[in-house]
Amino acid sequence: MKDLRLARQGKRPSRAKPAENVLREGLRLERVPDPSIVVLFGATGDLAHRKVLPAIYQLWRTNLLPHEFVLLAIGRRPYDDESFRADVRKALEDHSRVLPLDEAAWTSFAERIVYHHLDFHDADGFENLAARLATIDTERGTRGNFLFYLAIQPSQFAGIIAGLGRVGLDHEHHDGGWRRVVIEKPFGHDLESAKRLNREVGRVFREAQVYRIDHYLGKETVRNLMVFRFGNGIFEPLWNRRYVDHVQITVAESIGIESRGAFYEQTGASRDVLQNHLLQLVSLIAMEPPARFEANALRDEKVKVLRAISAVPVDPRHGDVVRGQYGAGWVAATKVPGYREEEEVDPESETETFVAAKLTIDDWRWSGVPFYVRTGKRLPKRATEIAIQYREVPHRLFKDEGVEPDANLLAIRIQPDEGIMLRFGAKVPGLGLDVRSVTMDFGYGSAFNVDSPDAYETLILDALQGDASLFTRADEVEEAWGIVDPIVESWAAAPAPDFPNYDAGTWGPAASDELLARDGRRWRRF
Amino acid sequence: MAVASPLKIGEPVLRWSARAHSIAAIEHELARIWSATDLTTEVEGEPGRYVAARSSVMNLVVIARRPELAEHCAATIQALTGRHPSRTMIVGAADPDGPSWLDARVEAHCILPREGSPETCAEMIHVTAGGESGRHVAAIVTPLLIHDLPVTIWWPDEPPLQLPATREMLAAADRLVVDGSSWSGTGLERLRELATLVETGRLAVTDFALVRQSRWREAIASIFDDPEFLPYLRSLRRIAVTYATHDETGTFGFTNLVKPVYHVAWLASRLGLHVQKPLAPIVGPAKSSAGRAVRSTGAVQTAGRGLGATLSDGRAEVAVLVRPVLSPMPAGTTLRVELLAERRGSELRADVTAEAETVHVRVWQDGVEALERHFRAPRRTEVDLLAAAIEAGGHDTVGMDALRSAAALAGPGDVRG
Repeated sequence: MKDLRLARQGKRPSRAKPAENVLREGLRLERVPDPSIVVLFGATGDLAHRKVLPAIYQLWRTNLLPHEFVLLAIGRRPYDDESFRADVRKALEDHSRVLPLDEAAWTSFAERIVYHHLDFHDADGFENLAARLATIDTERGTRGNFLFYLAIQPSQFAGIIAGLGRVGLDHEHHDGGWRRVVIEKPFGHDLESAKRLNREVGRVFREAQVYRIDHYLGKETVRNLMVFRFGNGIFEPLWNRRYVDHVQITVAESIGIESRGAFYEQTGASRDVLQNHLLQLVSLIAMEPPARFEANALRDEKVKVLRAISAVPVDPRHGDVVRGQYGAGWVAATKVPGYREEEEVDPESETETFVAAKLTIDDWRWSGVPFYVRTGKRLPKRATEIAIQYREVPHRLFKDEGVEPDANLLAIRIQPDEGIMLRFGAKVPGLGLDVRSVTMDFGYGSAFNVDSPDAYETLILDALQGDASLFTRADEVEEAWGIVDPIVESWAAAPAPDFPNYDAGTWGPAASDELLARDGRRWRRF
Repeated sequence: MAVASPLKIGEPVLRWSARAHSIAAIEHELARIWSATDLTTEVEGEPGRYVAARSSVMNLVVIARRPELAEHCAATIQALTGRHPSRTMIVGAADPDGPSWLDARVEAHCILPREGSPETCAEMIHVTAGGESGRHVAAIVTPLLIHDLPVTIWWPDEPPLQLPATREMLAAADRLVVDGSSWSGTGLERLRELATLVETGRLAVTDFALVRQSRWREAIASIFDDPEFLPYLRSLRRIAVTYATHDETGTFGFTNLVKPVYHVAWLASRLGLHVQKPLAPIVGPAKSSAGRAVRSTGAVQTAGRGLGATLSDGRAEVAVLVRPVLSPMPAGTTLRVELLAERRGSELRADVTAEAETVHVRVWQDGVEALERHFRAPRRTEVDLLAAAIEAGGHDTVGMDALRSAAALAGPGDVRG
């Protein structure tokens, strides 16, 4: 109405920005998290013990959580507050990244831990939870701000979210009481289930309340990708099809499936890593600069990349995707069993433990530049790296002089030994004109000798602050499944005749090397 | 020469020490450190360990005229060896009327960041210059700077900003780190000089006095994170800062006022308020609010009426009161910040106080308590402050704006009026 009135008067509507808290500029955090309760479902589980609880404790220890903070731990085991606190203490002693524990910080943290027994199938369970939350909220002054963290089996997501909705725990209040839900990956096991889960979540929570975690996005080096690309003037002009020959992204693990045989049988490398970590890295490398460093602007650009990725040809002989499964072998001087000999694994399992693919991004920036991605279990070493391989120089001036240097390469190491390496040619000292490749190497460890926060610390703090930049949006999840689904469906329809097709401790099946060799390229050696 | 020292993860150790008596000799020793691949130690169980990597992210120059201050600064910097490896020069002067001489100790401090990682080392050069040499610090420091790395000068004493030699030294610097709360008198005159200096050059300034207050700023800013209180932010009518003094007479000039004035300056600069009347002593009968005891910090009695100033956003005025109370806290420490805002007949009053580990915020809307929060925010150590200064990177616009605003509040003359 106001705009209409202004239009009639021949005036343009005001474009004044909504009021901002100008006092926030230059302060350490964009804002101190509001007083709040973190409601941790699956508090007695492995993920909570290894990652979530140590991260929350670390945030508390470093004064990044509000004074009015409560951790309401939800579980099915018969703990009381005291016994659960003892359990948390043990988890921190085993998994905290800073030891020994700070006794003063632990004492004040422990006072804020409350245990609540909840059987997810109990009809009154969520009513009781709502009543408990209301009591704690009043007693501890947390102002109705609740962060529900689902560190549980994916099969339980929908039921818990529906339970929260049934008792109104999703309702935000005009007086500032916010409600957010953090959902761990995997988000669905295919496109259809992801859509279904998005619908079920969407029936209860608005998208702005939903924080889907892919912990890779919280890693310091991944966050630095955006600073590296958009905070430096010299790289972005070279970040396109004119200069880049191809991109390689490797997520290699030396470990096997540990004790997760049953889980891995249902997922495989494509669902476990390609659909989320790898495609997230691809979208961060390939995206256009967002207009603002803000959650939706960022995710808009990422989702455009996913939409631009062409369907991957899946033909077993000439397709652009390769699957593998490890057999017995040697890793780090230890003999390890093959995948089919692992616990809880079908002796004739067709589950892939390795996947390599060539992705093409059909947009103005990347047309004709292949993105080769690979991930696998029981590879020779743990390494995650993004390599931008630049084109050869247009005219080889030094081709008669000994060894020709390799084309320039920019390697971004995500883990371990986080850093960035640039390779270029240099003259070998002497009377001749020999050229050799040398590297400029930036290591986080030597330039910033401070411990980086764990990805979970970053992400939990962001969720408490309402910053969804590093979380995955519903459409991103669905687009990623749209890329992976045809691959896993084709594999399900045609079992691999050659499994196991790589030995543990090698870099995957021969077909993976052939995928690049037919383009005249090869995987980087690690 | 190489020094044998056992390495513990995360703890810097001295691995090389040599003396030199000229700039050329210092340069020679620096070159020797890094060319000495046989920089071996006789550490038990670690034969043949050598310096694996030299690491410098900046040049850090400390101007410390007194030896005990130099030692104190060296200890602070060593705590940052791993976090911000730098070429550090600690420069002092002695015997100003004697003949020129130079004595330097060139050291390499090394740290093993974590198990299995290479040891990284950084240089520290302690230079003392006598006679006329000591008056030309730039001539000592400039040849020893690593090219292309930023230069930060930490001046823990009171920098004589008006001297040409100081200006010459600062011309080579990207950042000057000072502590305005340690300056003599009110400190406001020096603050004005500093603001003038940064206006005329590209020098960035970090003042520990301002950095220390970040916990207060966090707490004050948090009040206006609440959408209900945010509209009041542009309707401030009064800012009152209470600070500790040990001077019962209430005479100005004995207590450093840099920290309390920075509170006002920060608010003014963020809110775009300009100084209409600079700080001047308040005269006239006392108002009741000025005499309130600050019980939590032990202050029980007012000492003088304080200083008043007027700010304006062009439409309305904001009254400023900076008032002393007798307190056992260090003189010049901020004890309380009070804000009063009025908007459309409604009033918002905020009261912020701090203790060693916490900051306490209370807010009343139209006389009714609307918010009470505690922030866990311990006071910051000098190591934290120096790290924050180094990590600030380029120009800290918020800090610079606050400095300009503080200089404007201090006015053109002596606040004693």
